Amino acid sequence: MAVQVLSLDDDYYLNFCTKHLARNNPAKSPLWQFPIIDTSPDDNHLSNKVSFIYQSTGTPPSEIGVFGTFDTLHTAIPMQAVNFDGQSTGFYALTVRVPIGEVHRYQFLVDGQPTLDPINPQRTILDDKTEWSRFFTDYCSYPIVFEEWEYAILRRLVDHILPFRNQDTQNFLNRFYDGLDKSAQYATKEGFHRLDASVGEVNYIDKLVARQEIHHLPTYKICLREIDRLLRQRNPFEEPQDMAKVYYTDLYEQMATGSVPGWNYSAYNNPNYFLQVLRRHAVLGAFSHPKYGGNAGGAGWAYLESKYQDSQGDTLFDWRAALERPLGTNPDYTG
Amino acid sequence: MSQFDVIIIGSGAGGAPIANKLVKAGKSVLVLEKGPMIDAQPQPGVGQSGFKRDELLADGPEKKLNIPGVSNNGAGYYHSHVEPDINDEPHIYLNKNGGDTATIEGYTAQVVGGGTQLYGGVSLRFTENDLRLKSFNESRVIQNDDNDDVKREARDWAISYAQLEPYYVEAESKVGINGTSANQQKPFSQDVYHPPLNPNPISQFAFNGMVTLGQQLGTNIQPYRPPLAVITQNHPASGRIMPADPESAKTSYVNRFGDPLGLKSNTWVSLLRPIKDDSNFEIRCNCTVTRLKASADQVNEVFYLDPAGIERSATSTLVVVACSAIESIRLLMLSADADSNFSQRIHQNDLLGKYFLTHCFGGASGIVPERFDKSKALDADWATDTCAVTSFLDSQGLWAGAAIYNNTSDQALPVSLFRTLGAQDLDTLWNGFTGNAGLRGDNLINYLDGNFGRGLSVSFMANQVPQFTNRIELHPSVKDKWGRPVAYIKKDWHQHDRYLMDVMAQQCTQVLRNGLGNGAPVSGGSIYMADNALARMANHILGGARFGTDPNDSVLDPNCRAWHFDNLYVTDGSFMPTSGGANPTLTIQANAFRVADHLLGRL
Repeated sequence: MAVQVLSLDDDYYLNFCTKHLARNNPAKSPLWQFPIIDTSPDDNHLSNKVSFIYQSTGTPPSEIGVFGTFDTLHTAIPMQAVNFDGQSTGFYALTVRVPIGEVHRYQFLVDGQPTLDPINPQRTILDDKTEWSRFFTDYCSYPIVFEEWEYAILRRLVDHILPFRNQDTQNFLNRFYDGLDKSAQYATKEGFHRLDASVGEVNYIDKLVARQEIHHLPTYKICLREIDRLLRQRNPFEEPQDMAKVYYTDLYEQMATGSVPGWNYSAYNNPNYFLQVLRRHAVLGAFSHPKYGGNAGGAGWAYLESKYQDSQGDTLFDWRAALERPLGTNPDYTG
Repeated sequence: MSQFDVIIIGSGAGGAPIANKLVKAGKSVLVLEKGPMIDAQPQPGVGQSGFKRDELLADGPEKKLNIPGVSNNGAGYYHSHVEPDINDEPHIYLNKNGGDTATIEGYTAQVVGGGTQLYGGVSLRFTENDLRLKSFNESRVIQNDDNDDVKREARDWAISYAQLEPYYVEAESKVGINGTSANQQKPFSQDVYHPPLNPNPISQFAFNGMVTLGQQLGTNIQPYRPPLAVITQNHPASGRIMPADPESAKTSYVNRFGDPLGLKSNTWVSLLRPIKDDSNFEIRCNCTVTRLKASADQVNEVFYLDPAGIERSATSTLVVVACSAIESIRLLMLSADADSNFSQRIHQNDLLGKYFLTHCFGGASGIVPERFDKSKALDADWATDTCAVTSFLDSQGLWAGAAIYNNTSDQALPVSLFRTLGAQDLDTLWNGFTGNAGLRGDNLINYLDGNFGRGLSVSFMANQVPQFTNRIELHPSVKDKWGRPVAYIKKDWHQHDRYLMDVMAQQCTQVLRNGLGNGAPVSGGSIYMADNALARMANHILGGARFGTDPNDSVLDPNCRAWHFDNLYVTDGSFMPTSGGANPTLTIQANAFRVADHLLGRL
């Protein structure tokens, strides 16, 4: 089935383009906002509205389109000029509907020439060494930037930051996940095998450093390699993900002081800073909106909802009341 | 259309009331707004808003500051989707070590509706004395003012409370505000408030504490429900309809969140959307005004960058600048740099940018013995004027009073609880949490047990002593993304400000001790104590172009027209000669309605 192309007002695109792209000086912050990933209440939040933006600064292209795995891979869909007050702005846009929970690669076709998206910092390199631009939609649980072993180490580290590892909490989470009804399953499209017994914080971090905080990706890559090396040095007999808890608590405490015996400070000079970033990301992952990949199905919020009740057994964190359906129960807010 | 009766720069509290009134009177109006148009959900109908109940969108993922030469270069920062990226458009302030620091403080929001999209909505009037602090203080004894600065620098406003009062009523009616007038220590000719929603039960402690404080101070002044710019019933003036369950308006996704339902009375949904289809109204969003061009005493062309960054211009009979105090001052200074005639007229004295003001603010916070669902709350539930009356000010030797109210929606959501832990402002978010590595695992649970749904804070908002040396300039080297000099903020707290903040923080502490019992964990403090106290503004950015009756002592005349211009008006908070003992937005709106009447008389 061909992808659905959506028709949006020019102002919709300009609301993003002017702030982030219109400028005289080069951008200093990563332009992770593109392509624009927006919600689709009209589709019960089963898809995103994905808007590609191309900015022409010289001679306007005579043909401009997008091709990618979200559609038939080798046919470009034409982009439309974005106008203001009847005049061209140099911006071109295309909005398509893409199901949630997916990862795609794409390129622009500019006057017949395949071109990586010059705005979006997300890139992926295939086995055949070809480079593509990349995006992913909400509720994505495919790994984007971390390898399996990196997920495993992060999961163990995060276990020492967040309270979701003790038996009571695990029992709660198991019940919560088992009890999710069909209408909530969308929030956890790929199931929980990857999320282990926690609430998906590591999946969230994978998505965050793939996009909004892409500037922290090198830090993660270097520090996880360093941690893997250190753990293997301290315990040559087990894989890091199978090592006893004490290896991780020791490491955590050492990183908190900034003094980690055996750490290669010339590779990364501030392990305490990495811990600070990781702790912030872990908390965000547990309690941010589930569309970002953590707090699966609202599990982090549901933990607080269940933990904090009044003497009548009514919750003291009725988070669903404010939020859109089907995640929440608000009759007015569409999300 | 390219020729208008009026061009208004900025669509927030200072601009939108004028657009509303003039368009309804048949005048042609162009509003130029730098930010995007983010509407509320259509009503009725199915649709979506660009505002979300989403903490990551509202406070932003981290970015890294990249402005060589500033002290915090390389630091992380956070901004909501409608605040500027400070790598693109920083405010720079002179820090206590004499160096420069970039800050997001002093920005409200760049979006149609301006700061009223993100504010908590506290819409208090100023008191009668707030508008006459010079005459009020002439024969009073002021503590901690070694050089008699208060008596020398205080100014009466060019209008009295009685002159402003009808416009308070007009603003309260047209904007859409809920609250109660009884017990407020300001005269009301009419009460047009919507009825308040039920307070969050945690606020009962604050109410009890405020009642007792009134008794302790001997005023016996009772608390009231603070006016909040959130409608609680249908609002015919703006065509807004209340959801079936009015309590659904109560959500802690309120302060610093745009409201996807449009129940928060931002100036777009309350004042501009009702006129959007009128043929004599036009709003151009994503358009940054770069300079005003004058011929003799007429501003005859407004230059702006269109959404693609291409320079355009428009002309009008009258021009109103209302893009929030710092940015308005910057625009006037940049216009002066490009045009010697404009420069001579706007710099007819050396006051432009001087007497920049914010508020003395601070308060106390405590932990209540039980837990409450704070996720269902508006920004504030109870307020008291017991620290705004003359008997209290005389007893303490204070030059001006303060509104005191409790905050209900703060730290109500889990991410915000961690993000604001130990953070005193928008520049230090997350630092308290990331700096405390022991807060993990069981300790994290203990922290949640002790704080989630249990925090109660009480704040004061008070006048800051005007000082010539507190000022806005153009930064000599730092430029925005267009290559234009950014605003440079130089300010410090006066000795009396510090004293006043100590006194007021004690009263807030007393409210909580009264409400929670003497053994309860309560701590108080004020903003001057913070590491970055010089940057702090509470998003209340006022002064810098004060109005007055003497052209040698003010930038604007009593109608907020720039002296020595015939058709140039400034109507955001920069007109204020003193900053008032309450949040400023309602007073900016009321004054804008007043100026609108004057403009109508000219067109």
